Amino acid sequence: MKRILIVDDAATVRMYHRNILESAGYSVDEALNGIEAIEKALQESFDLYIVDVNMPKLDGYGFLRELRGENISQVPAIMVSTEAEANDQVAAFKAGANGYLVKPVKPEQLLTHVRLLIGETV
Amino acid sequence: MAFIKKTTSPTINDGQHTPEVRDCQTLLTQLSSTDASERRTAARELVGCPDCANGLMERLKIETEISVREVILTTLTRLGDPVSIAGMVECLRSEDAALRNEVVEAMKLLPQEVAPMMLGLLADEDPDVRIFTVNVLESLCHPDVEAWLIQVISNDDHVNVCATAVDLLGEVGSVDAIGPLEQLKARFVNEPYIQFAANLALSRINEN
Repeated sequence: MKRILIVDDAATVRMYHRNILESAGYSVDEALNGIEAIEKALQESFDLYIVDVNMPKLDGYGFLRELRGENISQVPAIMVSTEAEANDQVAAFKAGANGYLVKPVKPEQLLTHVRLLIGETV
Repeated sequence: MAFIKKTTSPTINDGQHTPEVRDCQTLLTQLSSTDASERRTAARELVGCPDCANGLMERLKIETEISVREVILTTLTRLGDPVSIAGMVECLRSEDAALRNEVVEAMKLLPQEVAPMMLGLLADEDPDVRIFTVNVLESLCHPDVEAWLIQVISNDDHVNVCATAVDLLGEVGSVDAIGPLEQLKARFVNEPYIQFAANLALSRINEN
């Protein structure tokens, strides 16, 4: 079973994404911010990260920069944000994201991105 | 929030010593030092200097060393004067996500000072600022928080502003929020997240 780490400080968002992903057969773990996510990434292996931009302690950009820069993990990451402008998406990809979704995310949108990045049939 | 700690180290504003105006000018100059530890020290000690908020804000906009930013925000929080508050609000419009998040956490520590600005910020033309303002409400511990959130979900047209408010209403909402939550679901009937979050908030309110 593929493992996905959801990194978001909003409990309702984590719950929403978890419901969608578990219903589709994925195993899900959660982190409340970038620092916690780095700790989990160092201890466990995941097949994908779903990362919010705005979080306390360490935001999504900071998390991805550390994840990639320190070579902790190179598995795919989807950045999820309320910000829809092109420069926000460019910043996410530069930080190390492989996908970008604008909130609020619809279930089929999320699952399509996840399957695509994990290498499953869409 | 780890970034905005109330410092426990002695400062020159702890009743032992108030810096002279001359010292304040020196400290403001020291804020531009190439040595981060000097900038950090200056930012910490400026808490004893009235009228230094503008200088701190100017430095905050360009400061790249995170530990210095932490101290600047801690000092601005402790100053809590109108210039400090207005400067922090301005930072909510920054393109720098880390700075925005640090400011949100700092503003949460100033419930009385930022409360009068909440209605204005919740009506800001920039939806991102409205979202950050709702985030500030999360820990504001102010008696009007629920009323402000109900106003947001009843009137704001932006789905993500409403989504952020619904998350919080699930924690602080009372029976007063039930009607507005039902109306929100009807307004965003094609948004699965709003349906999910509103249902969750309603079930939590009904449980209590």
